[in-house]
Amino acid sequence: MILFRIALRNLTSHKLKSLMVGSLLAFGTFLLVIGLALLGTLDVSMEKSVSNSITGQLQAYRADAKDKLAIFGDMSGGTDIGTIQDFARVRQVLEGHPDVQAAIPQGIEVAMVYGGNIIDTKLEALRQAEKAGDKDTSAVVRAHVRRIVGLLAQDMAKIGEVTDLATASTETRQSIADLAVAGSDAFWQDFDKDPLAAMEFLENKVAPLALNAEMLFFRYLGTDPARFAQNFSLFEIVDGQAIPPGQRGFLFNKLNYEDMVKHKIARRLDKMKDRLADGYTFAKDDDLQQWVKLNKNQYKEVTYQLDDRAAKLVREALQQHLGSTEVALEKLLPLFLDTNDTNFATRYKLFYDVIVPHLMLYAVKVGDNMTIKGFTAAGYPTSVNVKVYGTFRFKSLDKSALAGSVNLMDLMTYRDLYGYLSADKKAEIETLQKASGVKEIKREDAEAELFGGGGEEVVDATSPTPTDAPAEATPNLAAPAAPKGSMGERAVTATRMYRDELAKRVYTQAEIDAGVVRNIAIVLKKGVDQRKAATSIQELIDREKLGLKVVDWRTASGFIGNFLWVIYSVLATALGIIFIVAIIVMNNSMVMATLERTKEIGTMRAIGAQKTLILQMFIAEAVTMALVFGAVGAAGAGALIGYLHVKGLPAINDVFVFLFAGPRLYPFISWHHLLISGLLVSLVTLISTLYPAWLAMRVTPLQAMQDAE
Amino acid sequence: MASGKPIVALTGVSKDYHLGKVVVPALRNVSLSIEPGEFTVIAGPSGSGKTTLLNLIGCVDVASRGTVLVDSHDTGKLSEKQLTRLRLDKLGFIFQSFNLVGVLDAYQNIEFPLLLQKSLGKAERDKRVRDLLDRVGIAQYAHHRPGELSGGQRQRVAIARALVTQPRIVLADEPTANLDSHTGTAILDLMQELNRAGTTFLFSTHDPRVVSRAGRVVRLIDGEIADHDATVGERSDIS
Repeated sequence: MILFRIALRNLTSHKLKSLMVGSLLAFGTFLLVIGLALLGTLDVSMEKSVSNSITGQLQAYRADAKDKLAIFGDMSGGTDIGTIQDFARVRQVLEGHPDVQAAIPQGIEVAMVYGGNIIDTKLEALRQAEKAGDKDTSAVVRAHVRRIVGLLAQDMAKIGEVTDLATASTETRQSIADLAVAGSDAFWQDFDKDPLAAMEFLENKVAPLALNAEMLFFRYLGTDPARFAQNFSLFEIVDGQAIPPGQRGFLFNKLNYEDMVKHKIARRLDKMKDRLADGYTFAKDDDLQQWVKLNKNQYKEVTYQLDDRAAKLVREALQQHLGSTEVALEKLLPLFLDTNDTNFATRYKLFYDVIVPHLMLYAVKVGDNMTIKGFTAAGYPTSVNVKVYGTFRFKSLDKSALAGSVNLMDLMTYRDLYGYLSADKKAEIETLQKASGVKEIKREDAEAELFGGGGEEVVDATSPTPTDAPAEATPNLAAPAAPKGSMGERAVTATRMYRDELAKRVYTQAEIDAGVVRNIAIVLKKGVDQRKAATSIQELIDREKLGLKVVDWRTASGFIGNFLWVIYSVLATALGIIFIVAIIVMNNSMVMATLERTKEIGTMRAIGAQKTLILQMFIAEAVTMALVFGAVGAAGAGALIGYLHVKGLPAINDVFVFLFAGPRLYPFISWHHLLISGLLVSLVTLISTLYPAWLAMRVTPLQAMQDAE
Repeated sequence: MASGKPIVALTGVSKDYHLGKVVVPALRNVSLSIEPGEFTVIAGPSGSGKTTLLNLIGCVDVASRGTVLVDSHDTGKLSEKQLTRLRLDKLGFIFQSFNLVGVLDAYQNIEFPLLLQKSLGKAERDKRVRDLLDRVGIAQYAHHRPGELSGGQRQRVAIARALVTQPRIVLADEPTANLDSHTGTAILDLMQELNRAGTTFLFSTHDPRVVSRAGRVVRLIDGEIADHDATVGERSDIS
């Protein structure tokens, strides 16, 4: 076609100009293709991370919810998404849909855990020693407890130095007084006269003072653990075991467990080891230096936990390692923890070999029972006791803090903790409460149980709960309504025993399903079109009048789902700017070219070219330009993406590990990325051609004869 | 040859130009007809209206008053699109500064009007273009771009381009103005030769050499024909 020939000739005869405009176009196309490819890949990888770990492809929650569902949290903080009262019916309807593989009940909350506390642990050890009549151990443990009391007293004294005790709260003054008692010679001399009373004093008055520092906050997902594990392919157990089907239980997310529950110094040493493996050095890396500083300052995390026997062993080992004659562990430990590039490996090993065996490495151990505190929907504090069965991770996301932020809890415990009660169950509970007489339990009975001996009878006597009673019928849940003091020690102790019984209970699937959930993860069958499924499931829900709305994983995941949109907007802005510049530059240069070519265009018109031909000529030029340089840009982008596809784009931090669904992203280009890019670049070129083409069409044949007269 | 209807017939044609509020008459009441086979020159000093007259005949401008018939079409009554088509099919143009398309070579420049017409196949186009390249004597420069050709060679390309559609009349606006006298003479020889072969030519010029070759001279002074039909000088071999 003559037009393209002219266009091509025009482009090649103005090489510099064409190159300038062309490189803008090529760069724009390059960015566009790269951007689209990365976004496309990210979308796929995020879908993998998000939908295969927690959300499922779709989520359903109350249509009239006050806030939007945000599984991974959002910026506003408020996530009142209401409750779905009858999960069993919703499940039945949803799983009747041909696209749905499973509907998994869920609810995400934040809770607190009083992490196992060193005094608790030592008091437990003391009880065991007393029970076994092991005088030696008892003496060592007593000395350790006393030393901890001394350290706590020192800390308290520091508070006394900075605040005026006269104005301090009665609570603070009471604490100081209690510590004085526990630290006195008299207290320990009299210990054997009434060990139970002494230990109760330590447990109730002293232990909480150390506890406060150990409070852990974390997010947990209440769900049906068995069905969760079945349907979320990334889920796998790391330590311990899965929660036995139908039973109550808790699983820590491995990363969360390491970060929050592990001994702080040990955890920091682990992190140092990882970071060194990544090629960083103590000499140059700020993080490593900061961690060393923290370790040195927090040596008490170790000394607190060492009894005299352990302290002696550690002291000797450190003296030998450091070649020091220093006897104070308070001086040896900071020296030892002053790790650097040369000594780290040996000290890391020594720490784990010699010190760790005497430490409580995890505040909560797998297999332990743990008390979780939360707030009910109505705002009252509640607590549940639940067994930690193990830890889990989401495959290939083990380093992602986002994927690691949610722990798992069985639905029954979840409902207890959140105080979800349906109206009829509330009535039932009141009856049960009267019948159970939990609050009437005697202190003596409770402690007899703690020291063994007739424990079973006590539990039986205090919990005449019919086996088919709803899980929610835990007496503790009535606490908000009960008079003050029901959360006192006796009731708590009794409640714990009652819960031990609950922990052994196996619930049927019907029991698990019957009740309240907050949101539902809908896992689709393989190969189902997500959008179509969402529409048709929503229609089903509307027909069945379930009052739910269905959203996709992007929307459901909260800010992380918005992340894609953020990238989209950044890309769009960058491209917008580039293309606007390209339009201006191209328009400008084509206007110049048109003016230069006025005579040529006039001649063409004179010898019989119609206006439309002139327009076509300009379009041909624009299209040629777009095709040639668009192809160059796309080829460049293709080469880069091809390279990245093989090599992988490394995730720069935890967030990206999650977004990339692994430590590296392997981007790919699909044909529609190229198509969109091609169309967009052509559009941009055409827009920049409009004005010059209009100018050109106004050239009259008379202008061919300009120099005639 | 001078038989049947005239190719061009002007009756009482006036053309005014508007420069702001001032009306400048360029042509006044001109009547003129050109018969097939003529080799006619419109002569006159600068500003006498030669080019205006040529533009009206060339359908690139329309008269303010009077009628201009080109190949029996009243140009005042045609749309712009129709005028363009008329130019393409019935007229050939030769410009003072050749006006070739710089990015196309000689062959492509000559072929261009045929491509616009879209009526001939590739083989026919090729035959016609090659034939003309021969006739104007630049066959060996077929694939040179205008920038690589001399003025005379360029004007030969322009002549070939004007003839390629076999127009009823070729309009040449000062065709020798940008050529040295030797080349100008050669170009005039070529056009005269083509005229003998049947092509009708209409020139505008103030070049006495062109005037001396004309079969008929129309003298314009201040937009009016001074010596109407008074043919002077040697004629071309028309009867």
